[in-house]
Amino acid sequence: MSRPGFVLEVDDRTPPLLVHQGLGFRLEDSFPLGTRVVYPPESISCVPDVEEAIRDALLHPLGMDPLPELLFAGMKLTIAFDDISLPLPTMRAPDIRARIIEQVLTMAADAGVDDVELIGANALHRRMTPAELKHIVGERVFRSFFPQGKLYNHDAEDRDNLAHLGLTEKGEDIEINKRAAESDLLVYVNVNLVAMDGGHKSVPIGLASYASLKHHHNAHTMVQSRSFMDHKHSAMHQSAWRMGAVVRDAVKIFQIETTLDNNVFPKPYDFMMKREWEWSVKDQATMLGMRRGLSLAPAKVKHKLFHDLRSVYGLTGVNAGEVEAVHTKTLEKVHEQHLVEVQGQSDVLVMGVPYLGPYNVNSSMNPILATCMGLGYYFNSYLDQPVVRKGGAVILYHPLNEGFNQLHHPSYVDFYEEVLAESTDPAVVGAKYEQQFADDPWYRHLYRTSHAYHGVHPFYMWYWAAHAMDHVDDVIWVGGDRRVAARLGFRAATTLSDALEMASSTVGTSPSITYLHNPPHLLAHVR
Amino acid sequence: MSAGGSIAERLRGQHVLVTGVTGFVGEALLHLMLSEVPGVRVTLLVRPKGSTPGTARIAKLLEKPIFAGCVEAAGGVEALMAARVAVLEGDLAAAPELPKGLDAVVHCAGDVSFDPPVDDGFRTNVVGTRELLARVREAGENIHYVHISTAYVAGRRRGSIPEGPVARAGDLEAELAWGLAQRQAIEDRSRGTDVLVAERKKAEREHSRAGALTAAAATEAARKAWVKDELVQAGAERARSLGWTDCYTFTKALGERVVEEHARTARASIVRPSIIESSLERPYPGWIEGFKMAEPLILAYGRGELPEFPAAADTIVDIVPIDHVVSAIVAVLAHPPEVGEAAYFHISSGERQPLTFHRLYVNMRAYFDKHPFKAGDQGATRLPEWRFPGAHAVERVLSTGERAYKVADYLVSHAPRSDRARELARKLELQRRRLEFLRRYLDIYAEYTQAELRFHDAHTLELYRSLSSEDQQTFAFDTAVIDWDVYLRDIHCPAVTEPIRKLDELRAARRRTATSGLKAVPQDKAAVAAFFDMDGTLLSSNVIETYLWVRLRELSGSQRVAELGRIASKVPSLVQAERRERSAFLRTVYREYEGARRDTLDEIADEHLSDHVLSRLSPAAVRRIRQHRDAGHRTVLITGAIRPLTRPLLPLFDHIEAAELAVDDRGVCTGYLSSSPLVGESRAAWMHSYAAEHGIDMAASFGYADSHSDLPLLAAVGNPVAVRPDVTLYRHARKAHWKIVDWQSSSSSSRTLDLAGGRS
Repeated sequence: MSRPGFVLEVDDRTPPLLVHQGLGFRLEDSFPLGTRVVYPPESISCVPDVEEAIRDALLHPLGMDPLPELLFAGMKLTIAFDDISLPLPTMRAPDIRARIIEQVLTMAADAGVDDVELIGANALHRRMTPAELKHIVGERVFRSFFPQGKLYNHDAEDRDNLAHLGLTEKGEDIEINKRAAESDLLVYVNVNLVAMDGGHKSVPIGLASYASLKHHHNAHTMVQSRSFMDHKHSAMHQSAWRMGAVVRDAVKIFQIETTLDNNVFPKPYDFMMKREWEWSVKDQATMLGMRRGLSLAPAKVKHKLFHDLRSVYGLTGVNAGEVEAVHTKTLEKVHEQHLVEVQGQSDVLVMGVPYLGPYNVNSSMNPILATCMGLGYYFNSYLDQPVVRKGGAVILYHPLNEGFNQLHHPSYVDFYEEVLAESTDPAVVGAKYEQQFADDPWYRHLYRTSHAYHGVHPFYMWYWAAHAMDHVDDVIWVGGDRRVAARLGFRAATTLSDALEMASSTVGTSPSITYLHNPPHLLAHVR
Repeated sequence: MSAGGSIAERLRGQHVLVTGVTGFVGEALLHLMLSEVPGVRVTLLVRPKGSTPGTARIAKLLEKPIFAGCVEAAGGVEALMAARVAVLEGDLAAAPELPKGLDAVVHCAGDVSFDPPVDDGFRTNVVGTRELLARVREAGENIHYVHISTAYVAGRRRGSIPEGPVARAGDLEAELAWGLAQRQAIEDRSRGTDVLVAERKKAEREHSRAGALTAAAATEAARKAWVKDELVQAGAERARSLGWTDCYTFTKALGERVVEEHARTARASIVRPSIIESSLERPYPGWIEGFKMAEPLILAYGRGELPEFPAAADTIVDIVPIDHVVSAIVAVLAHPPEVGEAAYFHISSGERQPLTFHRLYVNMRAYFDKHPFKAGDQGATRLPEWRFPGAHAVERVLSTGERAYKVADYLVSHAPRSDRARELARKLELQRRRLEFLRRYLDIYAEYTQAELRFHDAHTLELYRSLSSEDQQTFAFDTAVIDWDVYLRDIHCPAVTEPIRKLDELRAARRRTATSGLKAVPQDKAAVAAFFDMDGTLLSSNVIETYLWVRLRELSGSQRVAELGRIASKVPSLVQAERRERSAFLRTVYREYEGARRDTLDEIADEHLSDHVLSRLSPAAVRRIRQHRDAGHRTVLITGAIRPLTRPLLPLFDHIEAAELAVDDRGVCTGYLSSSPLVGESRAAWMHSYAAEHGIDMAASFGYADSHSDLPLLAAVGNPVAVRPDVTLYRHARKAHWKIVDWQSSSSSSRTLDLAGGRS
């Protein structure tokens, strides 16, 4: 039986603790005594037979007929799936989505379905490359569908292939992929890595257009999403759920959600998932070797080392059927794997931003993405109330020096150089510049034909961090490039001690401190 | 020269013509006469400058602060001019008829540069004087002519110099004829093959990549520089061969000879000041206009750029304040000599109040120790310590520096392009300017620093002593009263450094507010185009051309290793070809396409090249292109690369001018281009025809490029921008004050041949 997550209180026996910091990590030995360190639970038990579990889910769905009964000859079947932003890191082949899609296709073939298309639900994310698509759907499916043009990325700017399904009761546009909307059955295959994913976030967001996304992806909504890891208290999810209710009437969706364990770092890097005082001699040797190697290696080598990691996740659950019923089950599993009880808020929240986030798979963690990762995803990893009190301070670890990938993030560079130079207030930049970036023909061209994130995407990253920026008074990057931090509207410190010194004007000289020891993923339930 | 009446009384009611009033001495003289000799009327011979007539120039001159008192007393500039200051428009080269009723003429005009082209020296100092004297003789019988010369007409003589005629050497008429003929002669010689061939070869070595016309323009510029240089040289050499220090003193001495001839039948005085510097008292202590002889030295010393001085410590530097000079001139004016022989007056300090170079140095140092120049924000400048090791030692240091510079220059010019090379080039440029400055001043001053001359001034002193004690007060010119320590530390050095300090402040302020990078593109102008080069400007690599054929071979399934080896072996020759001429390089590369189907090339470009190109695009470049588009400008891409390679950039440009591969009737590439690749000057030519066709205003248009071969592209537009330029272009851009920007792209750290073409 795996051990649950727990909260360590730093005392004089606590060894230096691992803190992720971009393409590397620190062993932090200057956490003040009494600092709370939140460790995620260890990996929970997995399903014994993955193929059998999938088969079982497809044949015994929740709130819907078994999949074979929904399939018939001459029907239009569309299979949509989560893109490479999930899971993180990328799963070692075979990807769970490939195994599910194979079974779905087998059942479809048995039923004589021949109009099948597979669509990557990448919304405004960059188009996946053929190699990336192949990794997700598997070699066989790729070979059968890609050359015929039946396996492709969703294009949120292809006006001819979008369907407007109406408005929600609050007047929000619902516009999704036309093929998916006009199918007799839409099968959605997801990887529910964290609590934010899945449910009505899959179809109404993954297959949507900008016109539809802008209703919930904005500064106002994100400040009101507390947190966006808790769909019942997330304004963004509430909007998605309203849309889901409308979509459900128009499109028959067969939702398949999967949950994974916390096995994110493969051997020999698994020491990063262990508690430091339990490191074996081998773990310590690996750690020391890696630390030395990273300090000498050029950025390119470090980048390759980390981005070549493939995780050996275990499948903890797979559920299929009606969206909301499935998602309830899914969240149970996610919470079982990620939830840690934390008693009360603290003055300071410390987090290490790792090398990888949803939007820099095979790319670089630029300063905007690092901000989104720290102040967006990690800050929001809570239920009930933030780990840090209102008006507290956040200390993040990341060098902020990776630069921008011009192929993947062209609009990010301009956002950084032109928009952030003027204002870092999410509401202000959104009101003044979002439309301009969203309608920009060059960004649109790159999004549609190259592998670029949509022009508006950097704004979303900034909105993601809006709740944190609104909530805390001070953000300090340990080890961050000073000029970059200043451009982002933050400050940089060399060490944790310096950062605490700097934060003392906000939180006093002996603040309560909490360090979220992730990844692996955790979700702090703050009472 | 009997006493009798004060100067003002003697000059009352007189009408004096003054030349060269826009110069330092002339201005001071005008000021003295207007303020202290109330009974005198002056007429000023002034040359119109450009479209400004002489009258306007004088009106402007009288608005200067030093004239404020006189102007106020007269009730305004116009009133003053109506009452006392008449203007005679004209040029000394063809002096106009002088007004009737003149009593005296003071000739201050002259070329004060030490190294004028020989014909200029003769024209102003000899022909000008002769012309003026002819007009003087026409104007009346009894006009007193006062000639302002220089004490250094003594030339290379040594020791005591009397106040009398310079010992004769050379035939005035012969020298004059020779001097005036030199320009034509040297112009002719400069067009001969020996000069032209050498200059052309040098220019072609430097500019062949930019094209023949650029090289030709450089050759012509070099020829003109050669002519100027040769004219200066000719004058200096002839002067030295006759015993003068330089062309200036030589022609000045010949000018005196013209005056001496005139003196046989008319009254003439010759006033010979030594080195004129800022005033002791009038109009205020430290008044100075422009830079004279000693200032560059003082300033260079204060900036720490004059490490040593080639004079002996005990050599006398003969300086006189300007107010002493003009007071003496007025006194001379009031005491005309007898007809028959010119009267000579030395206005100098060396005889009775000598200032040695050592004392000059000590005072300069004391001044700068107390009031140092601030070098940017790096605190006070470190002051060199002079030990006066003698001219030879200084010369040795300087020529070592010059040799070191040449070596460094060669290395930097041939270094691969990098930020470091550019930085080195910038520093070298600074070094070159310093060396040039030192060389120039060393050459000019060498003669003067050696000149152990003592100018007798008994005659001048006699004149001074004959004045009433009031006049001695008002028109002080006894140089014995000067306390050099006070003069140098409290008067001269502060006066000389003041404008520089102001300039430094201005520069510092400008630096503080300077925005790095480019100005926003102009929004309101139509008919503007922005021309962009591709490789190295928009993209980090300049070998995009090689990408496709590497891919091509790879995909065709040939043995990759062997292929890469073959290509690698070609790299040196490719680099060679690139250095020599861009189009040769491109042709070498395009030969590799022989036998490929053009459809295949397009396909590969679309499938693989886009990522390769887009990930190497410089974000700043793309932003700039888009700004131009937003402003309604035409964006044009000019490249020597073949068209398929430009496909990913299609949406950014209104027009792409690329090379076309020739194909046979089966659609297979022949390995040749269907026309010459657009490089170097052909780009400029193409741009002009494009501009004509689309009604584009080239002067308002923009050009962006990175290498020396793009010089014509940049020169063709009004707003050229050098993007991460190579050293040659960098130097050119700095010289021409072009904008230089540093558009980086992600993988721009190296400029190697990326043979694998970024596989991902």
